[in-house]
Amino acid sequence: MIKAEQKPMDQIRKMIADYPKVLIVGCGTCVTICFAGGEREVADLASLLRLKDRQQGGQKQFLETTVKRVCEREFIDQLVPKQAEVDAILSLSCAIGVQYLAERFPKLPVLPGLNTSFLGLIEERWQWNEVCVACGDCILHLTGGICPIARCAKGLFNGPCGGSVGGKCEISPEIPCAWQKIYDRMASLGQLHKLEEIQPVRNWVSNQAAGPRRTVKEALKISGK
Amino acid sequence: MKAGTKLEKVLTSGQFAVTAEAGPPKGTSGQMVQKKGEQLKSCCDGINVTDNQTAIVRMSSLAGCVLLKQAGVEPIMQMVCRDRNRIAIQSDVLGAVALGIGNILCLSGDHQKFGNHPTAKNVFDLDSIQLIQALKTMRDEHKFLCGEAISGDVPLFIGAAENPFADPFEFRVIRLSKKVKAGADFIQTQAIYDVDKFARWMDMVRDRGLDNQVHILAGVIPVRAVGMARYMKENVPGVYVPDQIIKRMEGTKSGKEEGLKIAVELIQQIREIKGVHGIHIMAVGWEDAVPQIVERAGLLPRPAV
Amino acid sequence: MESSRIADCCSPQLNQPCQVACPIHQNARGYLAAIAQGEFEQALRIIMEANPLPSICGTICAHPCEDKCRRGKVDKPLSIRALKRFAVEQGRGAIELARPKARREQKVAIVGSGPAGLVAAHDLALMGYHVTIFEKAETPGGALGLYIPLYRLPRDTIRQDIKNIEALGVEIKTGKELGKDFTIDQLQQQGYKSVLLSLGLPVSRSLPIPGIDHKDVLLALPFLSAVNNGKIRLDPTKVVLVIGSGNVAMDVARSAVRCGAGKVRVVCLEAKDEMPAFPWEIEEALEEGVEMQCCSLGPKQVIVNGNQIAGLNCKKVVSVFDAQKCFNPSYDETVLSDIEGNMIILSIGQAGDTSCLNGSGVKLNQRGQLVYDSNSLATSREGVFACGELISGPGTAVQAMYSGRRAALSIAKFLSGEEFKLEPFEPLPDLASGVIEKVKRLERNSVPILPVEKRINNVQHVEIGYSLEVARKEARRCLNCGVGARRLEEKCIDCLTCVRVCPYEVPVVTPEGAVDIRFDQCQACGICVGECPARAIAFNMPEVEDVLLQVESAMKGVKVAGGGPVICFVCSYGAASWRKLPGFLKGIPPQVGLVSVPCVAKLSVSHFIKPFELGAQAVVVAACEAADCPHEKGILFAQKRVDSAKQLLSQAGLDGRLEWVSFPSGDFSRFHQALSQRQQ
Repeated sequence: MIKAEQKPMDQIRKMIADYPKVLIVGCGTCVTICFAGGEREVADLASLLRLKDRQQGGQKQFLETTVKRVCEREFIDQLVPKQAEVDAILSLSCAIGVQYLAERFPKLPVLPGLNTSFLGLIEERWQWNEVCVACGDCILHLTGGICPIARCAKGLFNGPCGGSVGGKCEISPEIPCAWQKIYDRMASLGQLHKLEEIQPVRNWVSNQAAGPRRTVKEALKISGK
Repeated sequence: MKAGTKLEKVLTSGQFAVTAEAGPPKGTSGQMVQKKGEQLKSCCDGINVTDNQTAIVRMSSLAGCVLLKQAGVEPIMQMVCRDRNRIAIQSDVLGAVALGIGNILCLSGDHQKFGNHPTAKNVFDLDSIQLIQALKTMRDEHKFLCGEAISGDVPLFIGAAENPFADPFEFRVIRLSKKVKAGADFIQTQAIYDVDKFARWMDMVRDRGLDNQVHILAGVIPVRAVGMARYMKENVPGVYVPDQIIKRMEGTKSGKEEGLKIAVELIQQIREIKGVHGIHIMAVGWEDAVPQIVERAGLLPRPAV
Repeated sequence: MESSRIADCCSPQLNQPCQVACPIHQNARGYLAAIAQGEFEQALRIIMEANPLPSICGTICAHPCEDKCRRGKVDKPLSIRALKRFAVEQGRGAIELARPKARREQKVAIVGSGPAGLVAAHDLALMGYHVTIFEKAETPGGALGLYIPLYRLPRDTIRQDIKNIEALGVEIKTGKELGKDFTIDQLQQQGYKSVLLSLGLPVSRSLPIPGIDHKDVLLALPFLSAVNNGKIRLDPTKVVLVIGSGNVAMDVARSAVRCGAGKVRVVCLEAKDEMPAFPWEIEEALEEGVEMQCCSLGPKQVIVNGNQIAGLNCKKVVSVFDAQKCFNPSYDETVLSDIEGNMIILSIGQAGDTSCLNGSGVKLNQRGQLVYDSNSLATSREGVFACGELISGPGTAVQAMYSGRRAALSIAKFLSGEEFKLEPFEPLPDLASGVIEKVKRLERNSVPILPVEKRINNVQHVEIGYSLEVARKEARRCLNCGVGARRLEEKCIDCLTCVRVCPYEVPVVTPEGAVDIRFDQCQACGICVGECPARAIAFNMPEVEDVLLQVESAMKGVKVAGGGPVICFVCSYGAASWRKLPGFLKGIPPQVGLVSVPCVAKLSVSHFIKPFELGAQAVVVAACEAADCPHEKGILFAQKRVDSAKQLLSQAGLDGRLEWVSFPSGDFSRFHQALSQRQQ
C-alpha cells in the first residue's frame, strides 16, 4: 500500500500562512492504515494548528473532514459545498489525492500535508518497508519474489556489490542486503543456478523516468459516460 | 592482443603483474596527478585513476588517465555505474579510446551516501556486469548497446573488481564467473588481510577454472597508522580488517614501518597461492610506500614488454 | 451518571450469565462496575432497580450468579453477593427510593410476608395499587425472620428492607392468620379485588419410625424459631443428632452449637460429597465443631433408655437417588449401626399447610397441594393467585422473590388488563479457552468472617463484610462480559489493527476476510478503541462517557489564577475511586480539573491534545501501575500514546506540558504530590 508521513508542523504552518480559513481533509484508506492522515490525525493536527495560531494572536479557522478515498471523484463531491467557505485545502492524503483535489478545485490552493513516501508492505504494525518502485516491468519471477530495484540501494541486477556484509546493505545496518535475501530465497527454492545467468541491460521505457505513464483499458471504454 | 596495453602484455606473458592506485585531486591541478604518476612509474605495470571514489567529487578518471599518459605512465581508467547512464558511458569509452586509454575497470560504485554529495540522485542505469558486457560488445562487435555500428576499433582490456570477503561468500565466485562470462579480462580484488580466506576463495575460483579465463590481481592496502586501520574497518564498505592487524599496529612505535612490513608479508603469502597473477596496491595518500613495498617484495625490476 | 438499564449488553438477545442466572435478573455487572469505581450509591441504585430486598439478599442470597460467573473458568467467580452487601451498607440512606406511579383504586391482599409476598407487595405498590400484607407471625419477614438464624441474618437487616417497602404505602398487619382471623370471603367483602397466597412451607417433615414421639425429638423449624427467640438453652451434656444434610440442617446444627450443646453430629442419607447444603455452610459448620462422619445412614429407630434418648439406630444407605435421578433411597437393612446421642432434631424437609384454605373455594389436589395455572399463577378461585415455595416446593429466597414478581404482573393484568411479557434472557456463550489463558489471574478476595472462637457461643453475624479497599479490589475482577468493543461496520476498513493489538486475541478475521470483534469474548479493556485509525470501534460500557465532554465540563468547573487549567486524567478504578475517602479531594490543587475514565487504556492521543486546544496549560495522566491493572497491556499502550502526543505537542512548541505519572493503588499521597509539583 501507499505509505505517507505527515510533514513537520513548521512546514505545514508555512504553507497555510496566507490562508485564513483552511479545510483539512483526511483520507480513510491507505493513509489511515499507516496512521498518517486519517480521522485521528486530522483532528490532532487541527487541534495543534489552532493552538499554535492562537498563541500568535491569529484567528485562523480550521475545518475538519475525512472522506473514504480522496482519489475518487464521488467521494470528493462531499467537499464541493465547502469550497466557497474556505481559502485553501490542506490534504492529509497521499499526493494522488492532493492532485485530484487540485484538479477538482482549480480556484482553491490545495496543499500537501503529507509526504508520500513509497509503496510498501507492513512488516510490523509499526513498521513499513519499501518493496516496489512501480517500474512497470516486474522481474520478481527471476529473483524469488524480492525486488532488487526497490530493495537494493544500487538497483543491481546481477548480484550484490562488494559492500554486502553480514546480510546488510553497505548504507545502513538496518537495511537487509536485497541480494543476500534473493540468494537465500533462490537457494531455498533450489533455483540458485538461475542467478548465474546474466541479466542484460534493462529497458527502462516502462519506468517513470520515461515520462508520466498512462494506462487505458479499451475494453472498459464506452463514450458518453 | 585485445588492447595491447603494458598490463595486458605482462599478464598474457605469464608474468606477475603489479598495479597501483592514484587518486585524482579534489581540484584542478593536473600536475599533482602527473607527480604521482612519476612516483609510481617504475614499480607498476599500470596505474588506476579512481572515479569519484566513495562518492567524493574529484577530477574525472578520464582526465586523470590522459594526464598520466602525457607523463608516459600507463593508466587504468575506472568507471562506476553510479553517476552515468549508458549514453554517457559509451560516449566516455569512445573518448577514452580516442585519447589512447586501453585499460578500463568496471565497478558498481560506492553509494552516494558515503560521499560529499549525499543528496544527489544516483543513476545505476547499468550494473557492473552489464557494463562489462557493454564494453565487450563495443570492442568485439563494434556495436553500441542499441545495436548501431561504431566506426573505428575499440581496443580495450576490460577489468572488474571483486570482493572475496563480502557476502554471501558462496555467491562471490558465481558473481566472478558472471563477470568473466560478461567479458572481464582482468580482476582487481578488494584489500586482502585474511590470506586464508582469500586462499579458500581462490580454491573455488580454480575449481571453476576461472583462473584460466581471467587474470586475478590481489588487492593490498598498506596500513600507515592504527587509526587508519580502525577507520577502514568501521567506515569503508567492503574492507574487512581483522583484529590481528589492528593489534599489530597498536603495539608498534613506528606505524609506517610496521605497515610496510605487513604489506610485504601479505604479498609474499599471496604469491604462494596458485591462480593469482598479480597484485594491486592501493596506497591512497601514501603513494611513496608503493615503490618500497614492491622492492621489498622482490618484484623489481618490472618486466619490459 | 445515567442510570443503567436492566440489561446492558452489546447484543439485545444475549446477557451476562450472572444476570441470566439470577431469578430476578439483577444487573450484577453494572453494580460491580460501580463499586469498582467508587460509585457506591450508584451501585445500590442499580441493585434496587430489580431488587426490593437488597439488604436481605446481600446477606443470605444463595447467589446462583456466582455459579455462572465466567470468571469461574479463569480463576474464581466474583464474590457478587458480598459485594452487594457492601454496596447496601455504603449506599444506604444516601439514595432516593422509587416512588409509586399514579395511584390506582384497587386493593390487593397478600397473605404471607416472606420474600415472595414482600416483592409482590413492592411491585404492586409501585404500580399504584393499595397493598395490605397479612402476616401470621408477630413480626414480618416470613421464613427469613422465623427460621434463618441470627448469626446468618440479623433482624435489623430484615427490618431495613421491610421499612423501605412500607414507605411505599404497603400496610403490614401482623398476628393475622388466614382461616383463623380472616377468610378469603371476608377479604373480598372488605373490597380486596385480588388475593395473593404466599404461604410458604411452614411444616417440618417427620419420620414414621419408632421412638419419634419422644420429647427430646425436635423438628427443625420450631427449633430454629425458638432459638431465634432466645428460648433454647442446651448444656454440655447434650449430644445432639441432626438428621439431614441440607442448608436447614446446617442452620440447626450450628444453632445447636451456639445454644451450648456439648456435641453436635449430623446424620444423613447422603454420602459426604453428596450433601446438598452449600459448601460454605458445610465448611463453616465443620469449623465450628459439627461432626459430619455419619453419612450414608438412614434412621431406623430412636434408641430410648428409660426416659432418655440414648441414640439412633441406623441402616446403611446403598444409594440416595435411583436410576431416574429421583429421590428414592435404597438400603441394606442387614448393616446396622448405632449412633450415640441424647437429642434428635429432624431436618428432613418442609411441607406446605393448606388447611387454612378449607372452604375457601381454592381447589387442592389429592395430596393437599394447591391447584394453579403455571402461566398466570391463578388458583381456581377468581382473583386468588399463589406464589413462592407454596407452589414451587423448597427453593431459595431469590427464587421466591421472582415468583412474587411474576404474581404481581399477573395480578396487574387481572386488575387492569395490562399485558406483560417475560423477556427471555439468554446467556452469552462461554469464554473461549484461548481467551481464558490470557486473562490475568487475580485471587478472589474472600469475605472476612469472625474466627471460630469468636462466634460459636453467640449469635453475632458471622460475616464481617468487605472493607473499602478490598471491595473495590474484588469488584475490579469483574470481566465486564458483553459490554466491550463493538465494530462499526460502516467505518471499518479492515486494517487489522484491532486484531494485532488485542491482548486477548478477541478480534478475528472471518473466512470472508472481514474483521469480527467477538463481543461475547471481549474483556472490555478498551485498547483497540484508542488504536483504531478509522475510529471504527465503539464501546458499550455505559460508564464510559464522552471523554471530551468530560474535559470541557472539568475545565469549566476549575478556578484559575493565571495560565489555564490543568487537566488530570485519572483511572476510575484507581485514583478516582478514592473520591470517597476523606482527604482525597482536599489534596488536589484548585486549578486541577479531574476527568475520570475506567482505565487510561481507553484514552487516545487526541484526548491528550484537545485539552490544550481548549485552553489547558498542562495535562497529567494519572494511571495505575501495571501490576495493579487487570489489563497490563493497556498501561503500555497508554504510555506509548502519551509519548506520541508529546512528540506532536513538541512540534507545536509545547514541550513538558504533558506528563505521565503512575503509582500503586491506594497511595494517593503520591498522586497529590505529583499534582502539586505541577503547580510550579
